[in-house]
Amino acid sequence: MMKITRLFQWTVFGMIALFGIIGFTNAVVTITAVDRDLTSKSADNSRNIAKAIADSSVDILLNGDLSTLQSRIDQMLPVLGIDGYVYIRDEHNEIIAHTFVPHIPEQISESEPVEGTIERNLKGQGDFLEVSHPILAGVGGRVHVGIDQAIVSLTIQRAMGYQIWIISGIFIISIFLGILLVNLASNPIQQLLQYAVALAKTEEVEETRHEKLRKRKDEAGDLARLFEYFALVADPKRSGIDTKQ
Amino acid sequence: MKTKKTDRFSNPSRRAVVKGLVASPLVLALGTNKLRAQELSQMSPNTQTSNSEFVNGVSDSQIILGTSAAFTGPSRGLGIELYRGAMAYFHDLNSRGGVHGREITFKLYDDGYQPDPAVNNTTKLMREDKVFALFGYVGTPTVTRVLPLLKKFQEENFLLFFPFTGAQPQRQLPYGPFAFNLRASYRQETGGLVENFINVGREKIGVFYQADAYGRSGWAGCREALAKHNLKMVGEATYTRGTQYTADLKDQVDWFMRDKPDAIVCIGAYAACAAFLRDAVDGGLQIPIANLSFVGSENLLKLITDSQESPERYGQFLVNSQVVPSYNDLSLEGVQLYDEFMTKNAPSVPEQFASKEEEYKTFDRSFVSLEGFLNAKLMTEILTRLGPEPTREGIEEAVFSIQDLDLGIGETVSFNEDRRQGLDRVYYTVVENGSFVPLRDWAASSNAWNEAASS
Repeated sequence: MMKITRLFQWTVFGMIALFGIIGFTNAVVTITAVDRDLTSKSADNSRNIAKAIADSSVDILLNGDLSTLQSRIDQMLPVLGIDGYVYIRDEHNEIIAHTFVPHIPEQISESEPVEGTIERNLKGQGDFLEVSHPILAGVGGRVHVGIDQAIVSLTIQRAMGYQIWIISGIFIISIFLGILLVNLASNPIQQLLQYAVALAKTEEVEETRHEKLRKRKDEAGDLARLFEYFALVADPKRSGIDTKQ
Repeated sequence: MKTKKTDRFSNPSRRAVVKGLVASPLVLALGTNKLRAQELSQMSPNTQTSNSEFVNGVSDSQIILGTSAAFTGPSRGLGIELYRGAMAYFHDLNSRGGVHGREITFKLYDDGYQPDPAVNNTTKLMREDKVFALFGYVGTPTVTRVLPLLKKFQEENFLLFFPFTGAQPQRQLPYGPFAFNLRASYRQETGGLVENFINVGREKIGVFYQADAYGRSGWAGCREALAKHNLKMVGEATYTRGTQYTADLKDQVDWFMRDKPDAIVCIGAYAACAAFLRDAVDGGLQIPIANLSFVGSENLLKLITDSQESPERYGQFLVNSQVVPSYNDLSLEGVQLYDEFMTKNAPSVPEQFASKEEEYKTFDRSFVSLEGFLNAKLMTEILTRLGPEPTREGIEEAVFSIQDLDLGIGETVSFNEDRRQGLDRVYYTVVENGSFVPLRDWAASSNAWNEAASS
């Protein structure tokens, strides 16, 4: 198992926290965007279906041919999905064709007719987005089309599922890479620490072991050389230190 | 009797018809002109016909009619019985030389009582098979979707004869001119049922119906009949087309229990209506439950009889409307002939649709097969009137020439530009001793229903 140096523990925790914030923000933004987009598309679809039925039902309604009207709305049902519904009210607000099984929900049969787009909660069936469209400018009745909101939720869940998989993968890879890079960065500091301890204990400094450190051209090398200088200043007689540098 | 049957089928013409019907699905699967010609010649080995010799479904020796109906699925009993009744007549006709020397043969397709297959089958019948006319379709949701095809190809003069549905679309504009009906309409059936229920004081009427064009047609009929008395229906519940007898319809029963109707009119097919009757009676909804002719009365009763310990407990609440007289009324010449031909010809399930897994047990007699028989009899009359050179263009004129034709059921048939439906009479039946008998006294029956409910 990879060990995280104490110096960079907070850096790693910070990375995890940052990922969490990014993931959460991304999820919120995605959910909001997808929800808004799908809801809008569902409403548009429903509106188009309602309009198509309303426009093509005028002659049928005038002929009083309710079976053809029913046939027309049955054909639209597959487009709406299994839980969608369509119903048509005549000019007296009586429901004259619908797709409900086993019966028309009370919330619909007992409610006042609505215009435009509304959200409905049907007992035992869930939340629906219902749009309506007038037939013959309303004098022939209205077509109402409902789309199950669960479809929107399901689509969001599916999109989020994919996103979580991808982010989780990136997160795991990033954490491993992060720890690796932190450890690479902390390695010269550890060497420097050991070197400083050795100098402080006035031990014989192993030439070969610290040679690389002293020859580094970065801040770690500068520090190593500075430690040597301090050690010589403190004890000019000490041996084992390369005074040429 | 057995020897007689063997003799009958040794007639090469009839055997050819049977062979032709068996071979038809194979031909359709392969769809080649060569094979179709081969199959058609198999239908009638007496004549060396080829596909090219058929012009609009007519050759020197045959006239081909096209059918798409429910031969499989939960409503197959309707398609099969209607076909059997028609074949009882056509078998005999063909054995006597057919119409002007031409046998009547069929191109059969199964649509399982579903609209999309019905549309595809009809397209094949019109474009590929080029049948002479469409005959014996089953169901409102199927026929309603097929009618626009007839309008689309109106230059080719295709007509639909005697569909097994009482719905309005093929009885009125814009599609009325493309079909001829024999049976009374659902509007007449539901109107009669509602009127009779109201007459015996049962004014609170509920409607249980199939959630499609058929159900809506019957629902509209009930609504219209009730409106004449300033009444509205008391409760309505639906079921999905294709519902099996094993389905639980207690939700629908509970819904009606809330509204407490005096009677329920069912507009459905036999499997779902039998399930509803079972659940209604078991659930305490013990009121008369009426069904339309389309239900397939014998199929419905058989499901109840085969599955329940005391079927009479359920049967006592049944009241079914019919569009043909009782098949037991042998005082009628047409029924007598039907009875004779059903015995003599013993039509079977079309071989290509005989399921090995789920064998269909045919009925010796049924209202549906009697209707099929009368359809065939009237179709034969029309083809005869078309003369020795039948063309699609001439069909309408031949039909309109029929005035006061007696089919032997106590009601004459006439057609004209404004009348494209042959019969108007509706008959009512109840169950007695395990079979449907005519309902003669509504008041007495209403009392019997009350007594049955309180016992």
